[in-house]
Amino acid sequence: MISVQHLTKRFHSTLAVNDLSFDVRPGVVTGFLGPNGSGKSTTMRLILGLDRATSGHASVNGKRYQELDEPLREVGALLDAKAVHPGRSARQHLRALAASNRIPFSRVDDVLETTGITSVAEKKVGTFSMGMSQRLGIAAALLGDPGILLFDEPVNGLDPEGIRWIREFFHALAKEGRTVFVSSHLMSEMALTAEQIIVIGRGRLITQGSVDELTAGAKGEVFVRARDSTALEAALTSEGATYRAEGPGFIVESLDTEALGELALRAGVALSTLTPQRASLEEVFMELTSDDVEYSANRHAGDS
Amino acid sequence: MNSKPNLASVIRSEWIKFRTVRSSVTGVVLTFVLTVGLGALVTSTIRSHWGERSALRRAIFDPVSTSLSGTLFAQFAIGVIGVLFISSEYSSGSIRTSFAAVPRRLRLVAAKCVVLSIVVIIVAELASFITFILGQSIYSGVVPTASLANAGVFRSVLFAGLYLTMLSLIGLGLGLILRQSAASISVFTSLLLIVPIITLLLPQSWQNTMDRYEPSQLGQAMMSPTPAAFSFSAWIALLVLALYTAAIVGAGSVMLTRRDH
Repeated sequence: MISVQHLTKRFHSTLAVNDLSFDVRPGVVTGFLGPNGSGKSTTMRLILGLDRATSGHASVNGKRYQELDEPLREVGALLDAKAVHPGRSARQHLRALAASNRIPFSRVDDVLETTGITSVAEKKVGTFSMGMSQRLGIAAALLGDPGILLFDEPVNGLDPEGIRWIREFFHALAKEGRTVFVSSHLMSEMALTAEQIIVIGRGRLITQGSVDELTAGAKGEVFVRARDSTALEAALTSEGATYRAEGPGFIVESLDTEALGELALRAGVALSTLTPQRASLEEVFMELTSDDVEYSANRHAGDS
Repeated sequence: MNSKPNLASVIRSEWIKFRTVRSSVTGVVLTFVLTVGLGALVTSTIRSHWGERSALRRAIFDPVSTSLSGTLFAQFAIGVIGVLFISSEYSSGSIRTSFAAVPRRLRLVAAKCVVLSIVVIIVAELASFITFILGQSIYSGVVPTASLANAGVFRSVLFAGLYLTMLSLIGLGLGLILRQSAASISVFTSLLLIVPIITLLLPQSWQNTMDRYEPSQLGQAMMSPTPAAFSFSAWIALLVLALYTAAIVGAGSVMLTRRDH
């Protein structure tokens, strides 16, 4: 469980995170979504105690991160895959981390295996591709077998096979009852990865909820179709409905599925299709953050 | 896992970090080679030109500090080891990983100081005693020699190693403050080389009181069996250098706990 309460971070004149509050629950993958520069990375650094909050606070398992004695056993994080000493081998990098939190070295072998980088474990990290670095970062996050995992833009630099792997991997971690918090600026990726979504823009919370909740009701349009298309259109017209033709049927804007069903019954038209139209998560996201994108195109916020 | 985590586990982690990058291993080897190698070179040169020396220069000749002159070169290598031990974490960004693993940042600094001091003190003391013994055997027969049993000699050789150890900690402290390898190494080198040049521009009476505070002069005082004119005694020099070290590492640690990363 990650809890963020009225979290605020100011860098000089820029409010990178502005009165942000949310909870991240265990058992599901929670996506943390926002345009570049919206404060995602800053929020994650604040949760990990790397940056100091201007006001408000973040806690993991009810404690401030700085109060954890052996944090890797409770929280695993991947912030920047390239933030590793390039001259050290992957295995030694993980061993140094393990030693600091009294994690047995056998775990190093385990996570190398899990992330599929055992064969390059003795190589210097500086020679790693972005995809291999991401895997090493994930291995480091898993080292202490933590109940809470944070990943900042983990799919960056991964090939399609790697992306599929990571997506399934996150689901598996959540299924084990862990809290999995994944940031991205790509809505399409989050739609496939996350069940819960937290959307921020310009450091403020825009919305949060399940993917279903966010996409449902965003449009309120219904696709309706009948074999007798003419009769259906006549019925729609007589009811004064707002609609437009769409392929073999119609998209109705002013009536919901229930009203349309009753209308069809009264008109004696047998419907072959009656489907509420969902906005794609991408569309919802674009709509929600359009102001913030414009804003961040002109100014830099404290994010990277 | 009920027992409290302690500094020992972080020290273990820092020891793995220290020995698994090439720069620190190279630095340690270089420190040894420079101290012993250049010590041998200097003492051999003195031996072969001994006959050309005036009686006065022979009279004031110090076989101890001259045999330890390799440390004057090794001190730069040792400073770089200290600087890079922390600054390489900043340049690679891995400092964030380190802080995420050890959020109590002072514990991290303490562990780095312990690892660095232990490694450097072993190498520097070993190099100092070897270069001293080697130097005396080169001098033997031609140039007056000193023995570890003579007054102040053992202390001089021992302090040569301590001088190098504290310089490596000063390097670490500068790395903590500046967070950049190049800047930290420049400042470190300036402290040893440029500060003495600046004091040369001061009036003579000021120089007499200021010079003794320069790190390199403190080193000379620590490595000589008898103090030179206007110089601190070896023990006071050790104390002053220890205060510098504590101040620089302390300032770096305070900044570390206050900064974002």
